[in-house]
Amino acid sequence: MKLNKSQIQDLYIFTRQHFVEHYDLQTELVDHLANDIETQWQSQPKISFEDAKNKAFKKFGIFGFMDAIEQRQKAMNKRYRGYLWNELKKWFELPQLIGTIALFLVFYMAFSSKYTAIFTIVFYVIISAWSIYKSTLLNRQFRKRKEISNKKWLLEELIFKQAGGASLIFFSQLYNVFTIPEKFEITTLFLILFSLAFTALTLINYISLEVIPSKAEKLLNETYPEFSL
Amino acid sequence: MSNSKLYKGSLTTIILKLLNEHDKMYGYEITQKVKALTKGELKITEGALYPALHKLEAEGLLDVEVAKVDNRLRKYYKLTETGTKETVNKLEELAEYIKTMQTLVNPKLV
Repeated sequence: MKLNKSQIQDLYIFTRQHFVEHYDLQTELVDHLANDIETQWQSQPKISFEDAKNKAFKKFGIFGFMDAIEQRQKAMNKRYRGYLWNELKKWFELPQLIGTIALFLVFYMAFSSKYTAIFTIVFYVIISAWSIYKSTLLNRQFRKRKEISNKKWLLEELIFKQAGGASLIFFSQLYNVFTIPEKFEITTLFLILFSLAFTALTLINYISLEVIPSKAEKLLNETYPEFSL
Repeated sequence: MSNSKLYKGSLTTIILKLLNEHDKMYGYEITQKVKALTKGELKITEGALYPALHKLEAEGLLDVEVAKVDNRLRKYYKLTETGTKETVNKLEELAEYIKTMQTLVNPKLV
Protein backbone atom coordinates (compact mmCIF):
# COMPACT_ATOMS: atom_id res chain seq x y z
CA MET A 1 0.00 0.00 0.00
CA LYS A 2 1.22 3.47 -0.90
CA LEU A 3 0.68 6.74 0.94
CA ASN A 4 -1.88 9.07 -0.60
CA LYS A 5 -1.48 12.78 -1.25
CA SER A 6 -3.12 13.94 1.96
CA GLN A 7 -0.92 11.63 4.01
CA ILE A 8 2.13 13.10 2.29
CA GLN A 9 0.85 16.59 3.17
CA ASP A 10 0.40 15.41 6.73
CA LEU A 11 4.04 14.33 6.80
CA TYR A 12 5.13 17.77 5.57
CA ILE A 13 3.19 19.33 8.46
CA PHE A 14 4.73 16.78 10.80
CA THR A 15 8.29 17.78 9.80
CA ARG A 16 7.39 21.46 10.25
CA GLN A 17 6.07 20.68 13.72
CA HIS A 18 9.43 19.11 14.45
CA PHE A 19 11.29 22.28 13.54
CA VAL A 20 12.24 21.46 9.97
CA GLU A 21 11.61 24.82 8.29
CA HIS A 22 13.17 24.37 4.90
CA TYR A 23 11.49 22.64 2.03
CA ASP A 24 14.44 20.63 0.73
CA LEU A 25 15.05 18.90 4.05
CA GLN A 26 11.30 18.49 4.63
CA THR A 27 11.02 16.74 1.26
CA GLU A 28 13.84 14.36 2.00
CA LEU A 29 12.49 13.47 5.45
CA VAL A 30 8.93 13.10 4.16
CA ASP A 31 10.13 10.57 1.60
CA HIS A 32 12.08 8.71 4.29
CA LEU A 33 9.13 8.54 6.68
CA ALA A 34 6.83 7.53 3.83
CA ASN A 35 9.16 4.69 2.81
CA ASP A 36 9.39 3.50 6.38
CA ILE A 37 5.61 3.58 6.83
CA GLU A 38 5.06 1.67 3.58
CA THR A 39 7.58 -0.96 4.65
CA GLN A 40 5.78 -1.32 7.98
CA TRP A 41 2.48 -1.79 6.14
CA GLN A 42 3.96 -4.67 4.17
CA SER A 43 4.54 -6.72 7.30
CA GLN A 44 1.74 -5.26 9.44
CA PRO A 45 -1.07 -4.12 7.13
CA LYS A 46 -3.31 -3.22 10.06
CA ILE A 47 -1.08 -0.65 11.71
CA SER A 48 -2.58 2.86 11.46
CA PHE A 49 -0.89 5.71 9.59
CA GLU A 50 -0.40 7.66 12.84
CA ASP A 51 1.19 4.74 14.68
CA ALA A 52 3.44 3.87 11.78
CA LYS A 53 4.47 7.52 11.46
CA ASN A 54 5.41 7.77 15.13
CA LYS A 55 7.31 4.53 14.93
CA ALA A 56 9.25 5.77 11.90
CA PHE A 57 10.04 9.06 13.65
CA LYS A 58 11.32 7.29 16.77
CA LYS A 59 14.08 5.73 14.70
CA PHE A 60 15.64 9.17 14.38
CA GLY A 61 16.51 8.99 18.07
CA ILE A 62 15.81 11.34 20.95
CA PHE A 63 17.02 14.41 19.08
CA GLY A 64 14.62 13.74 16.22
CA PHE A 65 15.48 15.76 13.14
CA MET A 66 17.81 18.10 15.04
CA ASP A 67 21.11 16.65 13.81
CA ALA A 68 19.89 16.62 10.25
CA ILE A 69 18.76 20.26 10.53
CA GLU A 70 22.05 21.35 12.03
CA GLN A 71 24.18 19.55 9.47
CA ARG A 72 22.06 20.86 6.64
CA GLN A 73 22.59 24.40 7.89
CA LYS A 74 26.32 23.89 8.15
CA ALA A 75 26.42 22.39 4.68
CA MET A 76 24.47 25.32 3.20
CA ASN A 77 26.63 27.93 4.92
CA LYS A 78 29.65 26.18 3.54
CA ARG A 79 28.16 26.19 0.06
CA TYR A 80 27.35 29.89 0.33
CA ARG A 81 30.88 30.69 1.50
CA GLY A 82 32.14 28.62 -1.43
CA TYR A 83 30.16 30.75 -3.90
CA LEU A 84 31.45 33.91 -2.22
CA TRP A 85 35.01 32.68 -2.39
CA ASN A 86 34.73 31.64 -6.05
CA GLU A 87 33.49 35.09 -6.99
CA LEU A 88 36.15 36.79 -4.90
CA LYS A 89 38.89 34.78 -6.60
CA LYS A 90 37.78 36.14 -9.96
CA TRP A 91 38.78 39.62 -8.80
CA PHE A 92 42.35 38.46 -8.56
CA GLU A 93 42.42 37.22 -12.14
CA LEU A 94 42.51 39.28 -15.30
CA PRO A 95 40.60 41.34 -16.36
CA GLN A 96 38.98 42.09 -12.96
CA LEU A 97 42.41 42.24 -11.36
CA ILE A 98 42.87 45.66 -12.98
CA GLY A 99 39.76 46.88 -11.17
CA THR A 100 40.99 45.47 -7.86
CA ILE A 101 44.36 47.17 -8.24
CA ALA A 102 42.70 50.45 -9.24
CA LEU A 103 40.43 50.28 -6.22
CA PHE A 104 43.35 49.59 -3.95
CA LEU A 105 45.31 52.53 -5.42
CA VAL A 106 42.38 54.90 -4.91
CA PHE A 107 42.19 53.91 -1.25
CA TYR A 108 45.94 54.04 -0.87
CA MET A 109 46.32 57.48 -2.42
CA ALA A 110 43.42 58.88 -0.42
CA PHE A 111 44.66 57.49 2.88
CA SER A 112 48.24 58.59 2.29
CA SER A 113 47.12 62.19 1.79
CA LYS A 114 46.87 64.67 4.64
CA TYR A 115 43.23 63.82 5.18
CA THR A 116 43.37 60.17 6.25
CA ALA A 117 40.65 60.54 8.89
CA ILE A 118 38.28 62.41 6.60
CA PHE A 119 38.72 59.95 3.76
CA THR A 120 38.13 57.06 6.16
CA ILE A 121 34.80 58.55 7.16
CA VAL A 122 33.81 59.39 3.59
CA PHE A 123 34.57 55.89 2.24
CA TYR A 124 32.98 54.31 5.25
CA VAL A 125 29.77 56.28 4.79
CA ILE A 126 29.64 55.52 1.06
CA ILE A 127 30.14 51.76 1.55
CA SER A 128 27.67 51.63 4.45
CA ALA A 129 24.99 53.66 2.71
CA TRP A 130 25.22 51.50 -0.40
CA SER A 131 25.13 48.28 1.68
CA ILE A 132 22.07 49.39 3.63
CA TYR A 133 20.33 50.42 0.42
CA LYS A 134 21.09 47.10 -1.28
CA SER A 135 20.11 45.05 1.79
CA THR A 136 16.75 46.82 1.91
CA LEU A 137 16.17 46.15 -1.78
CA LEU A 138 17.11 42.48 -1.40
CA ASN A 139 14.83 42.08 1.60
CA ARG A 140 11.96 43.56 -0.38
CA GLN A 141 12.76 41.26 -3.29
CA PHE A 142 12.76 38.30 -0.90
CA ARG A 143 9.31 39.20 0.46
CA LYS A 144 7.97 39.41 -3.09
CA ARG A 145 9.39 35.98 -3.89
CA LYS A 146 7.68 34.60 -0.80
CA GLU A 147 4.34 35.99 -1.96
CA ILE A 148 4.65 33.83 -5.07
CA SER A 149 5.86 30.69 -3.30
CA ASN A 150 5.88 30.10 0.44
CA LYS A 151 8.41 27.28 0.28
CA LYS A 152 11.48 28.11 2.33
CA TRP A 153 14.97 27.48 1.00
CA LEU A 154 17.95 28.04 3.22
CA LEU A 155 20.25 29.13 0.43
CA GLU A 156 17.67 31.65 -0.74
CA GLU A 157 17.57 33.13 2.75
CA LEU A 158 21.35 33.32 2.82
CA ILE A 159 21.46 35.03 -0.57
CA PHE A 160 18.71 37.57 0.08
CA LYS A 161 18.59 38.12 3.79
CA GLN A 162 22.02 37.50 5.19
CA ALA A 163 23.93 39.01 2.32
CA GLY A 164 24.79 42.05 4.39
CA GLY A 165 26.44 39.91 7.05
CA ALA A 166 29.90 41.17 6.21
CA SER A 167 28.80 44.78 6.53
CA LEU A 168 27.20 44.05 9.89
CA ILE A 169 30.56 42.95 11.26
CA PHE A 170 31.95 46.12 9.79
CA PHE A 171 29.28 48.28 11.47
CA SER A 172 30.01 46.73 14.82
CA GLN A 173 33.59 47.96 14.40
CA LEU A 174 32.42 51.50 13.72
CA TYR A 175 34.24 53.04 16.63
CA ASN A 176 37.46 51.19 15.93
CA VAL A 177 37.47 52.12 12.26
CA PHE A 178 37.23 55.80 13.11
CA THR A 179 39.94 55.70 15.71
CA ILE A 180 42.40 53.54 13.77
CA PRO A 181 44.02 56.47 11.91
CA GLU A 182 44.52 58.29 15.24
CA LYS A 183 45.87 55.33 17.15
CA PHE A 184 48.46 54.13 14.70
CA GLU A 185 51.43 55.84 13.36
CA ILE A 186 50.83 56.29 9.67
CA THR A 187 53.52 54.16 8.11
CA THR A 188 53.58 52.68 4.62
CA LEU A 189 52.79 49.25 6.02
CA PHE A 190 49.80 50.65 7.91
CA LEU A 191 48.55 52.37 4.75
CA ILE A 192 48.88 49.22 2.69
CA LEU A 193 47.00 47.12 5.25
CA PHE A 194 44.32 49.74 5.79
CA SER A 195 43.77 50.13 2.03
CA LEU A 196 43.71 46.35 1.60
CA ALA A 197 41.04 46.07 4.30
CA PHE A 198 38.88 48.64 2.51
CA THR A 199 39.44 46.96 -0.85
CA ALA A 200 38.45 43.57 0.57
CA LEU A 201 35.38 45.02 2.26
CA THR A 202 34.25 46.77 -0.92
CA LEU A 203 34.67 43.57 -2.96
CA ILE A 204 32.93 41.32 -0.41
CA ASN A 205 30.00 43.70 -0.11
CA TYR A 206 29.73 44.07 -3.86
CA ILE A 207 29.83 40.29 -4.39
CA SER A 208 27.39 39.36 -1.62
CA LEU A 209 24.93 42.18 -2.29
CA GLU A 210 25.11 42.42 -6.07
CA VAL A 211 26.86 39.55 -7.87
CA ILE A 212 25.47 36.55 -5.98
CA PRO A 213 21.84 37.82 -5.78
CA SER A 214 21.95 38.43 -9.53
CA LYS A 215 22.83 34.76 -10.00
CA ALA A 216 20.28 33.57 -7.45
CA GLU A 217 18.14 31.50 -9.84
CA LYS A 218 21.11 29.68 -11.29
CA LEU A 219 22.62 28.93 -7.87
CA LEU A 220 19.29 27.80 -6.42
CA ASN A 221 18.60 25.47 -9.33
CA GLU A 222 22.09 24.07 -9.06
CA THR A 223 21.72 23.47 -5.31
CA TYR A 224 18.15 22.25 -5.26
CA PRO A 225 17.17 20.05 -8.19
CA GLU A 226 13.60 20.26 -6.89
CA PHE A 227 13.62 24.08 -6.95
CA SER A 228 11.90 24.41 -10.29
CA LEU A 229 9.78 21.28 -9.98
CA MET B 1 26.27 -4.53 17.72
CA SER B 2 24.20 -2.14 15.69
CA ASN B 3 25.06 0.90 17.78
CA SER B 4 28.67 0.07 18.26
CA LYS B 5 31.00 3.02 18.32
CA LEU B 6 33.40 0.99 16.21
CA TYR B 7 31.14 1.36 13.21
CA LYS B 8 30.60 5.08 13.58
CA GLY B 9 33.92 6.17 12.15
CA SER B 10 33.26 4.13 9.03
CA LEU B 11 29.83 5.50 8.18
CA THR B 12 31.16 7.79 5.45
CA THR B 13 33.16 4.97 3.89
CA ILE B 14 30.12 2.69 3.92
CA ILE B 15 27.98 5.32 2.18
CA LEU B 16 30.65 6.04 -0.44
CA LYS B 17 31.21 2.35 -1.11
CA LEU B 18 27.49 1.71 -1.60
CA LEU B 19 27.15 4.65 -3.97
CA ASN B 20 30.17 3.41 -5.85
CA GLU B 21 28.37 0.14 -6.55
CA HIS B 22 25.00 1.68 -7.33
CA ASP B 23 24.48 4.49 -9.73
CA LYS B 24 22.28 6.51 -7.38
CA MET B 25 20.55 5.86 -4.09
CA TYR B 26 18.17 7.62 -1.71
CA GLY B 27 18.45 7.80 2.07
CA TYR B 28 16.00 5.10 3.04
CA GLU B 29 17.42 2.77 0.41
CA ILE B 30 20.89 3.15 1.94
CA THR B 31 19.67 2.18 5.43
CA GLN B 32 17.85 -0.85 4.03
CA LYS B 33 20.76 -1.94 1.85
CA VAL B 34 23.18 -1.90 4.77
CA LYS B 35 20.71 -3.80 6.91
CA ALA B 36 20.27 -6.44 4.21
CA LEU B 37 23.98 -6.78 3.37
CA THR B 38 25.01 -7.20 6.99
CA LYS B 39 21.95 -9.36 7.74
CA GLY B 40 20.78 -6.87 10.34
CA GLU B 41 24.12 -6.77 12.14
CA LEU B 42 24.65 -3.15 11.24
CA LYS B 43 21.79 -0.68 11.19
CA ILE B 44 22.59 2.83 10.07
CA THR B 45 20.48 5.11 12.23
CA GLU B 46 18.40 7.75 10.52
CA GLY B 47 19.75 10.34 12.92
CA ALA B 48 23.29 9.73 11.67
CA LEU B 49 22.67 9.02 8.00
CA TYR B 50 21.27 12.36 6.81
CA PRO B 51 23.86 14.52 8.59
CA ALA B 52 26.56 12.34 6.97
CA LEU B 53 24.98 12.62 3.51
CA HIS B 54 24.64 16.41 3.77
CA LYS B 55 28.23 16.73 4.89
CA LEU B 56 29.45 14.69 1.92
CA GLU B 57 27.30 16.78 -0.39
CA ALA B 58 28.77 20.00 1.04
CA GLU B 59 32.26 18.61 0.55
CA GLY B 60 31.49 18.09 -3.11
CA LEU B 61 31.76 14.30 -2.95
CA LEU B 62 28.07 13.76 -3.70
CA ASP B 63 25.70 15.25 -6.18
CA VAL B 64 21.91 15.22 -5.89
CA GLU B 65 19.03 14.51 -8.20
CA VAL B 66 15.32 14.75 -7.48
CA ALA B 67 12.59 12.67 -9.09
CA LYS B 68 8.86 12.36 -8.52
CA VAL B 69 7.97 8.91 -7.22
CA ASP B 70 4.45 7.96 -6.03
CA ASN B 71 2.89 11.32 -4.96
CA ARG B 72 6.17 12.55 -3.54
CA LEU B 73 9.64 13.83 -4.38
CA ARG B 74 12.66 11.63 -3.87
CA LYS B 75 16.19 12.89 -3.46
CA TYR B 76 18.88 10.67 -4.93
CA TYR B 77 22.57 10.87 -4.16
CA LYS B 78 25.36 9.91 -6.50
CA LEU B 79 29.13 10.19 -6.48
CA THR B 80 30.85 13.11 -8.15
CA GLU B 81 34.19 12.62 -9.82
CA THR B 82 35.95 13.77 -6.65
CA GLY B 83 33.68 11.43 -4.71
CA THR B 84 34.76 8.44 -6.78
CA LYS B 85 38.43 9.23 -6.15
CA GLU B 86 37.81 9.76 -2.46
CA THR B 87 36.04 6.38 -2.24
CA VAL B 88 39.24 4.65 -3.34
CA ASN B 89 41.24 6.52 -0.66
CA LYS B 90 38.71 5.82 2.06
CA LEU B 91 38.56 2.12 1.23
CA GLU B 92 42.35 1.87 1.31
CA GLU B 93 42.37 3.63 4.65
CA LEU B 94 39.79 1.23 6.00
CA ALA B 95 41.67 -1.83 4.71
CA GLU B 96 44.82 -0.52 6.35
CA TYR B 97 42.92 -0.02 9.59
CA ILE B 98 41.51 -3.54 9.52
CA LYS B 99 44.99 -4.96 8.88
CA THR B 100 46.48 -3.00 11.78
CA MET B 101 43.71 -4.07 14.10
CA GLN B 102 44.20 -7.69 13.10
CA THR B 103 47.90 -7.49 13.87
CA LEU B 104 47.08 -6.09 17.27
CA VAL B 105 44.24 -8.38 18.18
CA ASN B 106 45.46 -11.58 16.64
CA PRO B 107 49.25 -11.43 16.16
CA LYS B 108 49.51 -15.15 15.32
CA LEU B 109 47.69 -14.70 12.03
CA VAL B 110 50.38 -12.47 10.58
